[in-house]
Amino acid sequence: MLAGLRQRLQRWMRPRGPEVLPVQLDRHRIYVLPTASGLFFGLLLGTMLLGALNFNNNPALLLALLLAGTALASLIAAHMQLSGLRMDAVSAEPVAAGEDLQLRIALSTADARVRRGLCIRLADRFTHTRLDANGTTVALALATTQRGLLPLPRVELRTVQPLGLARAWGYAWPAQALLVYPAPETQAPPLPQAEGGQGHPQLARSGEDPHHLRGYRPGDAPRTVAWKASARRNNLLVREYELPRGGELKLDWQHTHGLPYEQRIRRLARWVDDAEREGRRYALNLPAALPIPYGNGAQHRHLCLRALALLPTEARRG
Amino acid sequence: MAERASSPPMTPIARGHVLLAAAACLLPLLLQLPLALGLGYGLGALVVAAASWRKPLPFWLRLLLGGCGLLAVLAVAPGIGRDSACAVLAAMLALKPAETTSLRDGRSLVGFALFGPFATFLLDQGPLSLLLALAAVLLALLALQRLAADEGEVPDTHAASLVQRPAVVAVLRLFALGLPLALAAFWLFPRLPTPLWGLPERSIAKPGLSDSMTPGGMFDMLLDDSPAARVQFFGAVPAPSQLYWRGPVLWDFDGRTWHQAQALQLFTPAPMQAAGTGWEYQIELEPSETRQLVALDLPTQLPEGARVSLDYTPWADTPQYSVSRWRMHSAPPAVFEADLPAALRERALALPQGYNPRTLALGQQWRREAGHDSHGRSDAAIAQRALSMIEKNFAYTLNVPMAGRNEIDDFLFDRKEGFCEHFSSAFVVLMRAAGIPARVVTGYAGGYRNPVGGYWLVRKSDAHAWSEIWLPKRGWVRVDPTAAVAPERVYDTLADRQPGRIGNFTGLVKVFNTADWLRRGWNDFVLGFNAQRQRDLLKPLGVNSLQPRDLALLFALIAGAALLWMRWLIARGERQRDPLLRAWHALDMRYRKLGRGRHLHEPAQVWATRVAADTPHAGEHLSTLAARVAAARYAPALSRDALHQLLRDLRRHRP
Repeated sequence: MLAGLRQRLQRWMRPRGPEVLPVQLDRHRIYVLPTASGLFFGLLLGTMLLGALNFNNNPALLLALLLAGTALASLIAAHMQLSGLRMDAVSAEPVAAGEDLQLRIALSTADARVRRGLCIRLADRFTHTRLDANGTTVALALATTQRGLLPLPRVELRTVQPLGLARAWGYAWPAQALLVYPAPETQAPPLPQAEGGQGHPQLARSGEDPHHLRGYRPGDAPRTVAWKASARRNNLLVREYELPRGGELKLDWQHTHGLPYEQRIRRLARWVDDAEREGRRYALNLPAALPIPYGNGAQHRHLCLRALALLPTEARRG
Repeated sequence: MAERASSPPMTPIARGHVLLAAAACLLPLLLQLPLALGLGYGLGALVVAAASWRKPLPFWLRLLLGGCGLLAVLAVAPGIGRDSACAVLAAMLALKPAETTSLRDGRSLVGFALFGPFATFLLDQGPLSLLLALAAVLLALLALQRLAADEGEVPDTHAASLVQRPAVVAVLRLFALGLPLALAAFWLFPRLPTPLWGLPERSIAKPGLSDSMTPGGMFDMLLDDSPAARVQFFGAVPAPSQLYWRGPVLWDFDGRTWHQAQALQLFTPAPMQAAGTGWEYQIELEPSETRQLVALDLPTQLPEGARVSLDYTPWADTPQYSVSRWRMHSAPPAVFEADLPAALRERALALPQGYNPRTLALGQQWRREAGHDSHGRSDAAIAQRALSMIEKNFAYTLNVPMAGRNEIDDFLFDRKEGFCEHFSSAFVVLMRAAGIPARVVTGYAGGYRNPVGGYWLVRKSDAHAWSEIWLPKRGWVRVDPTAAVAPERVYDTLADRQPGRIGNFTGLVKVFNTADWLRRGWNDFVLGFNAQRQRDLLKPLGVNSLQPRDLALLFALIAGAALLWMRWLIARGERQRDPLLRAWHALDMRYRKLGRGRHLHEPAQVWATRVAADTPHAGEHLSTLAARVAAARYAPALSRDALHQLLRDLRRHRP
């Protein structure tokens, strides 16, 4: 029942829906409640007040009241620790589902007050930071479970400053979704045969057959230097090898025919990674999407994995 | 928001803070405990804190130490009393650091430690306790702040020193923020006129006037220069020889100790005729923890809550645990109980069998020589004879050996020196032996007039005992045999009795006078404040009696105001610091209410054009305003007047 109440309370707290960044915390969305030690402190003060009133012991009464006044003021100070705090941006490099997204949350303040012991919490992860007029960026991990766009949950900003008697907290709910790539299949068959298979040889610095020698260029690894040949001539020579590289590779949705839907996506993701690792040029054909032409490199891989990540789920594909 | 199951450990710095706070809270309490206990616990606490610095002490050792602490209490202050309870608290506080490792432990230790100053105030409300308690509270708040900072786990770069200035300033600011509400609550929160439950007595009594007197027993008091009472006279001021402050009247002598006649305390006061108009005054008594009061000889009018008994001993209706103020009227008696009932006369003549034979013989001899008469001339003559004997042959000294069985014989015939207790006791016994009804009166004599506040300060060292003899027609007459020997001692006229005087050096006297005056003010405004004073709070404004309902209303009003003030502080903390931006945002807000506010992505001029499409006039003005704001923000600084003009224009602009 208590959990239900807490959940309802959580739903009632602002913001009640995602909002566009930047978001500034103000008094309409900062909540303050005593901590456990605050409650203990309150009980203690209550006892003191009762005793002092009963015995008409004025110094004791004054002492208890001063402490109570300070505790009350600390509620306000806790509030002030959060008010004026701004969340400017949230970003993260996409990762495969199952890994942690490394969020970077940029925070700044509307004024120059230094905020200490600020806790940023997302689900069950939290981190602490200290914030001054220059702003700061905190890193926070966010667990992922499935591919696609992961809408950001509410981010909790909270503090128990200055006395630890009260906890002030507020939420920011960035209307932003973070991309999560599909998890690549762990034990996948090798890449399908290249179409046509007539890939032209490419030169590479390592490989089996020496091809020819060329002049040294800065940046060449010392082990590629042909020392004997260099000794005969008066300048450094570097060996170049010939590596037969696979031809252009077309990854097609149809190649994975017969597998369950999600596994097809994961296999293609794995192949994209494999092709990228082998340095081959590849293209990706997915149903109901523009085909991605041949290419390679980080940008190309991102395009392919993004297309895979954004494929509709099986249910919606209907 | 779930609490983590285990609390992280304290950092050494935080531990230092917590221990310092605990020590500061413990110190005032230790000072109030009996010396042996206080010293023992203090040393014990230091040892425990040092031993448990790295890891908590094992359970059996803590148990053992706790047992030792309790045994010490039982040995020094046995019985269940306020001071023994406080001693137990001190023992617990001294031991607590032994098991304090985590953050949460630290917080609870600080919380418990705050009971230290609280308990101190149950024992003593003097200025030293107050100052120490205030320091302790501040240190406790600092420790709490430190613990909260540690929970943030942010490595602090200036954590080198134990107490840092910004932290102290932050705590003082919180303190100041809470002060108005605390003070409002202090003066306005309805007080209990009578306690719900009584304050436990002390196991070890504090020195003070008591219901019995053993010659030599006042010695501790005579050396104690702390204040007993402060008196403000309204109108006439009595002469120094009239400054007798009446306390317990002692009737019954058992050969060694004088006792109050408890049975007489229930009767109404004896008839008395005043000589002259008397004196109107307000007396402020330090807490006696008994119902005993002190009033100028003889009290004729007492306020509500106080009364006098048959022998004019002043009493309060309840024990006085804090400073109390009484407005009284006293007058010297012309005739005081001229008709002495036979039972009282018998009581005032009674002497124990088999004590002080030489004194009895002397009294009887004097009676024989003086003869009998019904006008009391012979009685007066005998008293005069005793006084002149004392004046001629006796000396005043505080240096008195232990009393023997026939103490009064020893004093009168061999030693011939002593202090007020010996003089009054011997005089009364001598009078009774001569057949003159007599009794001992204790209280204070003299007083020091503080020129700073124009009031009289009576100190515990002014404690005094004198005699009253009963003479036909005149009734009870005060006779002070000590004054016959050392009047300057009794009437406090010795220059070296000035407070703060050290030998011939008088430079500190002014300081002491001012300090005592300040303390009196503190007594007045804080310590002596009670339900009665609360009722009269608004008397100067013409409100005669504040009812609890009015008080609650007034309190709610002021508390509401304080809360509003706090809310204002919060709103102020959020607002834009730059007045120009503030005015600009306020202007935007006015448009937003009409649904025509500036979009986040929209430059000001584009917005102005959009507004101008609907309302050309306002839009045009807005456009110039936006240009001016941009110029003020990004072009070289505007002159003061120009800025003010711009602010005015921004505030005046309406959509």
